[in-house]
Amino acid sequence: MESADFLNILKERGQLPSAPDLPASAASAGEATEGTTILAVRCAEGVLVAGDRRATAGHTVIHDRADKVLSVDDRSVLALSGSPASAYEIARMLEISFQHYRRTQLQELSLDGRLRTLSRLLRQNLPLALQGIGAVVPIYATCEDAGSGPEGKIFFYDVLGATFESVDFCTTGSGSPIIRGALYYMNRWERPFAERSGGEALELVVKMLETAAEYDTATGGFKATAAIYPQVMRVTAEGISAVPEGELAQVYAGLGG
Amino acid sequence: MLDEPYRWVEAIRNRREYTEDQLAGASPVVALAYDDGLLLLTSTPGPRKLFEVYNQVAFAGIGHPADIEKLRKAVIDIAHVEVFNLSASDVSLQRLVNLGVGPLMKSAFDEIFRSPYIARVLVAELDPAAAAETFYTIDPDGSFHSAAGAAAIAGSSEAAGSIQARLRAGEGGESLDQALARALGAWGAGRVLAGREPDETGKPGEVDDGEVREAVRAALDGGRFEAAVLERSRPTKTKFRLLGPGELESSVAAFE
Repeated sequence: MESADFLNILKERGQLPSAPDLPASAASAGEATEGTTILAVRCAEGVLVAGDRRATAGHTVIHDRADKVLSVDDRSVLALSGSPASAYEIARMLEISFQHYRRTQLQELSLDGRLRTLSRLLRQNLPLALQGIGAVVPIYATCEDAGSGPEGKIFFYDVLGATFESVDFCTTGSGSPIIRGALYYMNRWERPFAERSGGEALELVVKMLETAAEYDTATGGFKATAAIYPQVMRVTAEGISAVPEGELAQVYAGLGG
Repeated sequence: MLDEPYRWVEAIRNRREYTEDQLAGASPVVALAYDDGLLLLTSTPGPRKLFEVYNQVAFAGIGHPADIEKLRKAVIDIAHVEVFNLSASDVSLQRLVNLGVGPLMKSAFDEIFRSPYIARVLVAELDPAAAAETFYTIDPDGSFHSAAGAAAIAGSSEAAGSIQARLRAGEGGESLDQALARALGAWGAGRVLAGREPDETGKPGEVDDGEVREAVRAALDGGRFEAAVLERSRPTKTKFRLLGPGELESSVAAFE
């Protein structure tokens, strides 16, 4: 059977971008662009995935409108922390792989197949990650119809490509240690996230990003003067939708200052 | 024996005859522009025959199913590698045909120790911004022809020509239902002509409405009609959509 795999097709044609073989000293020569807070939380309708907009290199803010939450097809979302150069390439490859599979095979790639593809892409990125300049730690969120209703699913990866499933929430990036404890506390002792409505979840992720931005220099907070809002995407059984800025503005207005 | 040049020419002639023979009984594929994009239609005993290549590109083939699949896969591969290396807006039908599927079919046809593709291909591209639909048809020997407005592939060139003439008779800017009716009529005419021996003048002759209706009925006996659109107004990036049985029902019923 002919190869159905897009990565293999690129490899066969010698078009798979490979990591440059850098000398060991190169890693410390320049400061890599990274730093982020991304998080995904379950809610009754599915999953909410959010990310701040700041990109940094060392102590320098290089961009304040970076997109870190990307829809890869009409039912899954990828949130990326780590080196943008590798992250965007991985997201792009993933999106095209899924499309290629759907069009050639005339069926959708299964969830396990999609998770595995992402894992292979991370593995591919390993040389850059080991050189300390290209590590990517993604969160992958999708929503499946569990029969009894929509069931949000959140997966995260380590740098080597191992896949883990989160039950209620997940956060990665430099700001994540600041909010992980708070998320755990709220989910366990206040009310489980999976029982909360989409509206409650939206307020929650916005508050969490603001908290992370307060203590992590590499995470950007809401900037009223420039109207820079975080990115939030809803992953429900109906598909993917980005929360519009107007709705985010209302949430921020409700937070008071 | 093939070191003698005329043997090679003879071998090519033989396989031209062979591929024409194999394609003779095929159900035509018709394609035409309508007010919201373009429509493809054919009949099939069951398996799908109309496919998506990329967001704005569709593919159809007649001939051996395995060859059609190989060509379809090849075009999809080329398009996606292109998207990966450059961008979605760099996928163009002209390049997919001129530098992709055309040379691919030509080299298989010319290398006489390989089997040729027993297939005739129709590809169509929607330009989401301007109302400029492009069609290409590719023959088993790799020669390709572009057309604007309408195109068809069939078992014989006479049948394809007659279909084209019927499709072109439209004023353009038709609704989907009007386009479906025209497509079915043209398909029927092509089906009738493909099965008819040329008369003494060598012309395929005329097809009357009764014969068209009969061809449509015969197609429904052992199978179904399949239609797909590339829809300009579709909100998603991909403009391709297979029409559901319900959308075809009333148009087909008009021919019964």
